[in-house]
Amino acid sequence: MAFDWLNKFQQQLEKDPHYAERTLAAYKLGMKAKGSIAGVIVQPGADCCSAARDLPMGKVYHPDEAPRLPLANCPLASRCSCVYRPAMSYDLSPK
Amino acid sequence: MNSTAGVLLQVPLFKLYRKFGWPKLLPLNLTLSPSPKCNSRCLTCNIWMKRENELTIDEWDKVLSSLGTAPYWFTISGGEPLMYPHVVELAQLAYKHCRPGIINIPTNAILPIIPDRVERIARSCPDSQVIINLSLDGIGEKHDHIRGIKGNFEKFEERLSQLLALRSRLSNLVIGIHSVVSVFSVGHLDEIINYVDRSGADQFITEIAEPRIELDTVGLPITPSAHDYAKAIDRLISYVQGKQYRGTARITEAMRVEYYKLVKRILDEQDQVIDCYAGWVSAQIYADGTVWPCCVRADDLGNLREYNYDFKKIWFGDKIKEVRRSVAAKECHCPLANASYTNMLHDIPTLTRIAGTLMLPGKRSPHSAGAITTEAPMARPKQHIGG
Repeated sequence: MAFDWLNKFQQQLEKDPHYAERTLAAYKLGMKAKGSIAGVIVQPGADCCSAARDLPMGKVYHPDEAPRLPLANCPLASRCSCVYRPAMSYDLSPK
Repeated sequence: MNSTAGVLLQVPLFKLYRKFGWPKLLPLNLTLSPSPKCNSRCLTCNIWMKRENELTIDEWDKVLSSLGTAPYWFTISGGEPLMYPHVVELAQLAYKHCRPGIINIPTNAILPIIPDRVERIARSCPDSQVIINLSLDGIGEKHDHIRGIKGNFEKFEERLSQLLALRSRLSNLVIGIHSVVSVFSVGHLDEIINYVDRSGADQFITEIAEPRIELDTVGLPITPSAHDYAKAIDRLISYVQGKQYRGTARITEAMRVEYYKLVKRILDEQDQVIDCYAGWVSAQIYADGTVWPCCVRADDLGNLREYNYDFKKIWFGDKIKEVRRSVAAKECHCPLANASYTNMLHDIPTLTRIAGTLMLPGKRSPHSAGAITTEAPMARPKQHIGG
């Protein structure tokens, strides 16, 4: 993937206290407004906690049902390296 | 009023600033994003889903007054900037406080109100060059598909025609066409070039689709492969090099060719290739007042609301130092057009190559190619390089 540094860079950013609410609200609006977003994926960070590792890989959630990041009891708290990614319909189609 | 010569004279100063932290300078190239709201649904962008506690126009007034006449080049971005209800006032405030040489506004060309707003901006900023770049990612339904709006291409054509008519009455107005080269459009760039060539637009600029934190596109497969991009962009370079340009247009087209070659190298080498000056020469102010060095990294350098709307307090503060260290250490690389053009102005080998190109005799226009009916419809002397 081109510009892979940015993926790691974003995972290292400190999270705003409202990261989950803001991001998921945006995705929910995107789905309601008929964008090509189909849901949300949790991308675990390289140094994520065991709870994050146990999440089903690549699962597409509805924003209302997605786990809140940082996960409860994440030892990294606002430095949690897990991130949300928009699940785009063009990326989910059978290739 | 800011001048191009004044910008060039500052190049050595910015080189010193980047290397030694002195003399302290405010950015020449500033992007203002008053709102993320947009009525497009592009496959390559997710900014339109965001909602922010946006700066009011009174707050923008204070921010812009803190900048003095430092910025030469403003980009008013979005979202769809011409949908932002106070876009005319915002441009007028930038003009009043900063006297920029250039005010550049991209648009999706959808709303019928656009020509009226553009006219008001151009008339009230008479000594600035006002550049309106209409987005075009395909011809006909291909455009509509990528932009996610049925009938968008038809509106694009209507708006282009209205804005070209306006341009004939306003000497400070430049109308350009801007294409994002993504995995969705890389295969039909030729069609776009042919269309633009007949369009009457003053300039054609392309930018590769890239992940940006601002757009929430990190990790999305929107960037074409280095091979596909090179194949497409080589044809664009040949097209540009096969045409005849005069005056300023020769410089701007030489800059564009350098930019396209730079992007190829960045993709190939996964490196900055030339020094990046984001955080020194260029910056962005996001809708909620947060200052970023660029929209790709979107590092939070501080929120203007917490600094009494004084840009200098953030720009010359402590938080930006770590970001500048990171950029200078090449911990990032990207082909962002807005920053790349100012980066190229600060790169001596690039400037030398451009000077070399300009010393060559101008090429004749390849009329046999068919599409070219005038000398260079995309190269009016007043055009500018910027994206």
